[in-house]
Amino acid sequence: MTHIIIQGLLLSGLYALIAVGFTMIFSVGRVLNLAYGVYIMLGGYIYFQCVQVWHLPKAVGFVMAVAAGVAFAVATYQLLVRRLENNPVAVEISTLILAVVMQALIVMIYGAASRTMWPLVNGVWRIEGVAVTYNILIATVASWFILGGLMWFVHKTHLGRAIMAVSMDRKGAMVSGIDPRRISLITWAISGGLGAIAGVFFATYTQLDPSMWVGPLIIAVAVVVIGGIGSIVGSLIVAHLIGFMETITTSLLAAELRGVFTMLLIIIVLIVTPKGLFGREEL
Amino acid sequence: MALLEISNLEAFYGKARSLHGVSLNIEPGKIVAIIGPNGAGKSTLLDSIMGITTTTGSVKFDGQEIRAQSPALNVKAGIGYAPERGNLFPFMGVKDNLLVGAYTSRDKIDENLRMVFDLFPVLEQRQTQETGTQSGGERQMVSLGRALMTSPKLLLVDEPTIGLAPKVCLDIAAALKKLNEETGLTIVITEQNVNFAMSLAQELHVLETGELRLSGTVDELQGEDYIKQAYFGA
Repeated sequence: MTHIIIQGLLLSGLYALIAVGFTMIFSVGRVLNLAYGVYIMLGGYIYFQCVQVWHLPKAVGFVMAVAAGVAFAVATYQLLVRRLENNPVAVEISTLILAVVMQALIVMIYGAASRTMWPLVNGVWRIEGVAVTYNILIATVASWFILGGLMWFVHKTHLGRAIMAVSMDRKGAMVSGIDPRRISLITWAISGGLGAIAGVFFATYTQLDPSMWVGPLIIAVAVVVIGGIGSIVGSLIVAHLIGFMETITTSLLAAELRGVFTMLLIIIVLIVTPKGLFGREEL
Repeated sequence: MALLEISNLEAFYGKARSLHGVSLNIEPGKIVAIIGPNGAGKSTLLDSIMGITTTTGSVKFDGQEIRAQSPALNVKAGIGYAPERGNLFPFMGVKDNLLVGAYTSRDKIDENLRMVFDLFPVLEQRQTQETGTQSGGERQMVSLGRALMTSPKLLLVDEPTIGLAPKVCLDIAAALKKLNEETGLTIVITEQNVNFAMSLAQELHVLETGELRLSGTVDELQGEDYIKQAYFGA
C-alpha cells in the first residue's frame, strides 16, 4: 500500500507537469498540439547532448533543454499554427507530421537505439521499505514547485490573467486591450519550456528513445479529454488520477495493462460527460 | 475637433457588406445614441470602430487614423468597449474580470477600481463571485466596469439595456449620466429601446440596414414623423 501511494504520487507529479503545458495550449487556442511530445523529446535529447556528450554542467544542460523547447514551440506557432489557426484539423494533422519528422531527425542524429540518461542526483531514499531514487523525488518535488508557480502566475499576474481571459472569451480579451495572438505565442513558449523540463525528468525516469514523444502525448491528451477544457486544477487532479491508476494497475495486475485503463477512461468520459470531469465546455 | 470622425465606413463579414458608407462625427463630452432595429448594423458599427471587423473607409480617433489598427491598440489609445453580450470571463470573479480590463492601464488600477465600485456598489460586495453565476444586470455592470478599467476617453456601450428589468435599465442610465457629467467622458451607446436612448443621449443617429437614415438632437428627432411611426407606432 505504501509502495502504491509513494509511486503514485511520484508518477502523478511528473504526469501533471507533462500535461499542463498541453492543456494550456488547448485552452487558449482550442487546438490539440500533437507536436507537444516533441518538446519532451527535445528536452531529453538536448540535456543528454549537453551533459553526457559535451560534459557541460547539469544546470547548463537544463537551461539549454528549456531554451530548445521554447524555441521549437515558438517556431511551431509562428511558422505553422498561426497560418492555420482557423482550421484546427489542419493544425492537428500538421503538428502530428512535424512530430514524426522530428522523430526521424533524432534517429538520424542519435540512432534508433535507446540511451540511458544519468540521474540528475544519485542516491536512494528508503521510506517504509520502498526505495525511492533521489532523481525521481527531485523530479516530483520540482514538478510541484513549477506547477505551484504556474498557478500563481496564472491567477496573480496581469499576463497570467490575460492567458485565462483569452481561454474564456477571445472577444472579451480583445476589448480589454489584450492581443490574443501575442498571448497565444507566449502560451506556446511557456508550453514548450514546461514540456522540455518534463522531458528531462521523464528521460531520467525512463530512458531516451526516438519514440519517447508518443507516451507523454497520450498522457497529455488523456488529461485534457478526461479533465476538460479550461481548468488547470482539473488537469492536475486528473494527472494524479491517471498516475495512481497506472501505479495500481502495474502493482496489482500487470505492467502490460498500464495504459489500458487510461484509454478506457477516455472513452467512458467522452460518452458520459463530454465536457470532461472538470471542463467548462464541450470538447 | 471631433473626438471620433467616421467617414464612408463599410464593414464586411466575408463577402457580405453590413455597413454602407456610414459617416458621423462624435464631439467630445457628449452622450450619443445610435438607434435602430435588430440587424441594423449597430453592433457591427461599434465592432468596426474597435477594429474587430474587416472595414474600408476612415475612422479617426483624437485626430489619428485608427481604422486598420488592432483592438488592443485602440484600447490603449483610449477607446473602451462594453459589447452587447458582455463577453465576460465567466469562470473568473468580478474583481479579476475588472483587473483584466486594466491590462493596458496598470498605473491607474486603484483609482479606476474605486470609481467602478462607487458607480456600482454591488460589485464591491461580490468581488469574488464568478460572473457566470451573476444576474444579467450585474454582468452588464461588470462589462461597463471592465471597459472603464481601460481608462477610456471614449466609451462604446452596445445595447446596455437588452434583456434587463426596467429598474436595472434606470440604474445603468444613471451610472452613464453620472460618468458623463462628473468626468466629461464621451459615451456612444447603441439601443433598440428608443425611450431609453432619448432619456440619456443629447444626440441621436438612426441606423437601418447598415445605413445612417437620420441624425439630430433629441429635440429635433422627437418631432420627426418617421421616428414616431417607426419606433413609437404613432
